Amino acid sequence: MRSFASNNQPEQEFKTRHAEIMAPAGSRASFHAALQGGADSIYFGIEQLNMRARASNNFAMEDLPEISALAQDHGVKTYLTLNTVLYDHDLPLMRKIIDAVKEHGITAIIASDQAAISYAFKQGVDVHISTQANISNIEMVEFYSHFADVMVLARELSLGQVKKIVEGIKERNITGPSGELVQIEVFAHGALCMAVSGKCYLSLHTYNSSANRGACKQNCRHAYKVDNDEGIELEIDNEYIMSPKDLCTIDFLDQVLDSGATVLKIEGRGRSPEYVQTATRCYKEAALSVANGTYTPEKALQWKNELEQVYNRGFWDGYYLGRKVGEWSPVYGSAAKKEKTFVGKVIHYYPKAKVSHIQMKAREISKGDTLLVIGDRTGVVEQVIQSLWVDDKPAQKAVKGEECTIKMDEPVRDGDNVYLWKDRA
Amino acid sequence: MMRIIFYRNKCIGCNYCVEVWPERWQMSKRDGKCVLVGGKKKGQVYRADFGEHERDQNEKAADVCPVDVIRVEG
Repeated sequence: MRSFASNNQPEQEFKTRHAEIMAPAGSRASFHAALQGGADSIYFGIEQLNMRARASNNFAMEDLPEISALAQDHGVKTYLTLNTVLYDHDLPLMRKIIDAVKEHGITAIIASDQAAISYAFKQGVDVHISTQANISNIEMVEFYSHFADVMVLARELSLGQVKKIVEGIKERNITGPSGELVQIEVFAHGALCMAVSGKCYLSLHTYNSSANRGACKQNCRHAYKVDNDEGIELEIDNEYIMSPKDLCTIDFLDQVLDSGATVLKIEGRGRSPEYVQTATRCYKEAALSVANGTYTPEKALQWKNELEQVYNRGFWDGYYLGRKVGEWSPVYGSAAKKEKTFVGKVIHYYPKAKVSHIQMKAREISKGDTLLVIGDRTGVVEQVIQSLWVDDKPAQKAVKGEECTIKMDEPVRDGDNVYLWKDRA
Repeated sequence: MMRIIFYRNKCIGCNYCVEVWPERWQMSKRDGKCVLVGGKKKGQVYRADFGEHERDQNEKAADVCPVDVIRVEG
């Protein structure tokens, strides 16, 4: 990937370019949602050798040509995650995946295991170093620069540390295999882990289910009480003592970009399409606005409000601003302000009339309600019900068991799921 | 007679079942997922019958599987 300024390019040109927004896709619908949100690049996993082997509806090897073609049509880069711990028996599949990445023109792999890094390098496949590698200092950057042009820094670093590493890259002229300066990527938004760079063994110890093989059972997200060997319970402020809030940098994105990071990663391959679309769009708009000098605290607040509507565990600023201790989520699951509830399926979409015919399978919908229509090729379409017909007659509402027709502003597709999108009770 | 049901498409290749009962579970070098020795394929699911002498090992394999793709019936 070469979308940003190298040391050879004029400073002015660098300033007018916005950072790359890298969006997650754990499903086809999320992939389309990322495109709708304006992602510059999309990362995804296939088969079982990725860190969301359990959580996501992962893609398969045979999906690569379709993914690659779709991304190229939209001018978007694609990164394939191949970042679990690898055992000897995984090596043939690892090689097969990298060969397929090369064959189908996927932009790069994201890896941490040296076996994958080494094989991709030999095959001429670009490598991005994964957060699992826990890059926390300039020497590590220099070490990995023999294999990779882009690397993500550990989420536990402060922005001061990130900035120092970027300056070190320029001072030492640390270049990747392409001959250009190494680019630094940082996590901008999404879940954080209680363990350093996700290197956690809780799930393995308790459920035999290794987080480092993409099978995390998320023990940390539950409520815990602390007692000692005499059965005395310790008083603690919050039972969710191991569940960090989500990282959100939108209200200090100018400082994040001032560190010199050029790629902003949004976490969430296990999250829903509407999360992917909203987070991608907000960060894209914010990064553009930082680049063209129109970023303001008021705008940041508006984006943050939008981010609060979709899945989140409450927000904090991570470790970037140099906090002593973390902030822990007060809730199990999401603190999103909105929620979606399944109500039916699109039986048919009539493109000329721009209406969708919907089979109501649960609950009811009324004029004025907001719907989300989500599908593998549709991504996420939000629609306020302006006009509604039941049995070809204008109606105020449609209930379970009925078929109804709704005017759409954007096209949807047969078989898409329809949800009611409303404030959480 | 008891039966193992193995939902192979969801296997993540962690190798635990191979560790506990290698006579029945082997690792495929082709795709890095487990192979149920003697299993018959129907759709995405593999099934194999086995005798009482294998009960403990197969139940242990099912127990240690982190993604619950091994079921033991009977």
